[in-house]
Amino acid sequence: MTRNLAKYSLWQFRDFVLERGIAIVLIGCLWSYVTFEPMRRAMGAQWRGDQTSPVWAIALQVSAALVSLSVLIAMNGIVSTNRKSGYYRFLFSKPISPVVYYAQLFVVYMAGVLVAMLILSGVLRTIFPALSVRNFLLYAAIIYVAMGGIGFFLSVATRYDWLTLAVVWLGSRILRDVFGAGTGWRSKAVELLPPVHKLDGLAGSLIGNGTANTTDVVWLLGYGLLFFVVGLAIIRYGSLAD
Amino acid sequence: MSAAGDHRGPASAIVIEFKNVGKTYKSLLGNSVKAVEEFSLVVGQGEILGIAGPNGAGKTTLIAMLLGYLRPTIGTVEIDGIPARNYVERNGIGYLSELVAIPPKWRAYTALVRYATLAGMPDAEIHRRVESVIELLGLAEHRDKKVKALSKGNLQRLGLAQALLREEKLLVLDEPTHGLDPVWTQRFRDIVDGLRRPDRTILIASHNLDELQRLADRVAIIDRGRLQRLVTTGYEHATPAITRYRLAIARGHDLVRAAFPQAEEAGRDEFDVTVQSLQELNATLANLIAQGVLVASVVPEHSVLEQQFREAVGESS
Repeated sequence: MTRNLAKYSLWQFRDFVLERGIAIVLIGCLWSYVTFEPMRRAMGAQWRGDQTSPVWAIALQVSAALVSLSVLIAMNGIVSTNRKSGYYRFLFSKPISPVVYYAQLFVVYMAGVLVAMLILSGVLRTIFPALSVRNFLLYAAIIYVAMGGIGFFLSVATRYDWLTLAVVWLGSRILRDVFGAGTGWRSKAVELLPPVHKLDGLAGSLIGNGTANTTDVVWLLGYGLLFFVVGLAIIRYGSLAD
Repeated sequence: MSAAGDHRGPASAIVIEFKNVGKTYKSLLGNSVKAVEEFSLVVGQGEILGIAGPNGAGKTTLIAMLLGYLRPTIGTVEIDGIPARNYVERNGIGYLSELVAIPPKWRAYTALVRYATLAGMPDAEIHRRVESVIELLGLAEHRDKKVKALSKGNLQRLGLAQALLREEKLLVLDEPTHGLDPVWTQRFRDIVDGLRRPDRTILIASHNLDELQRLADRVAIIDRGRLQRLVTTGYEHATPAITRYRLAIARGHDLVRAAFPQAEEAGRDEFDVTVQSLQELNATLANLIAQGVLVASVVPEHSVLEQQFREAVGESS
């Protein structure tokens, strides 16, 4: 049963490349080009691609945003499309476990996102030679698990997963900004929301310097993994059909 | 003919068992709809069981529970003594759904290769087997087409092809001739007839009673989520249910009128006749033939199944 799925992972990876990977790379290249090319022209001889450059902070922000966007694209319909379109019917009449199928899909898509990020980091390094590919990929992997885990859960639980994920992600950030600094029950409640507020700091420290606050990383990974496991449990004990 | 309460299958190893199964759908607003209620049925090894019922009777919900895609609200569904979903995950089954849903960008051939991979076929066998089902279902000229470019009939054939990739012990076909033209409908019936094996169980859900009459050993008639009747399809079980026949003759019209005084002329050379039993029908016909009547055909007005279906479901169908 697991061997069938292991062989099928090549098809899953192919689907990712054709349906999502190429789009992620194209969007990343375009975004980088339209952001940095005008700056490079305007700055002329003053342009520098190292960490002391005035555009380095923007480079970190764009890199972090590209990772978030790629995770959003990867998670779009990862489970819900099969359910909404009825593709699950033929897939899961075969001798395979839906739980293992989707867990494998999550991992294969992670590999796909990392390959796309590897290509994009190569492109970004032509503009910012100081960018560490290793640190960038490490950041991408952490964000994939953190954000992707929640996205996976939402794809299991709802039909409009990417939209819900975007709302949850943005909503968490706004609610933390509004209530996080207070002392009442609201400030405690928002602590349970996805830890999106830790992303900016992590992007700066991990992509920029190769360091990270261990507690932040554990919190992000734990949050994502928890939701991923809950998503798998719903697949296992819930209904595959709508 | 079995009564509604007789839910035991033939004396063979039990393959499928629905035990007092119920399924209720609940909306977020708290409304609930009972799709299946107190459904119990045993289907034996080697049997072809038909499932018939009007729209919304619960056929597709039953099949979804058999494949483990839906969980029953109450009761259990087991295949070979284990929960249905566990059986499917361990062994797989051949399944053709009512709506054939395959990603539109996949090509017919590669779709079958993918399903064969998931079915656990060895690499060396995949292409041979895929070629074989493509040939069987006449898909050779469509093999490189994308799924979205296939006609409804060809898509249905592709769906049947993926169900036949392996030598499954259990086949579940939900409205299998939906969208097929008459030639392929007949071809499908021949294919299913060819699939009959002592160690294979086949379930066919269909609106087409004629199809079930021809293919199935028994038919479960379902209405409003409940099993209304289990009908054995052979004509030996039909008497006295069948009483009206259409008799077509080439010679001896007056003799027929004399033998069946109540006969209604249904057209040139055709009479609708009423009898009390198959024995009476055969005796009268033998007598007529002996007197020189040339019989062209004798067809029951309704099949055994159609008659039972009408009685079980009534006008709601």
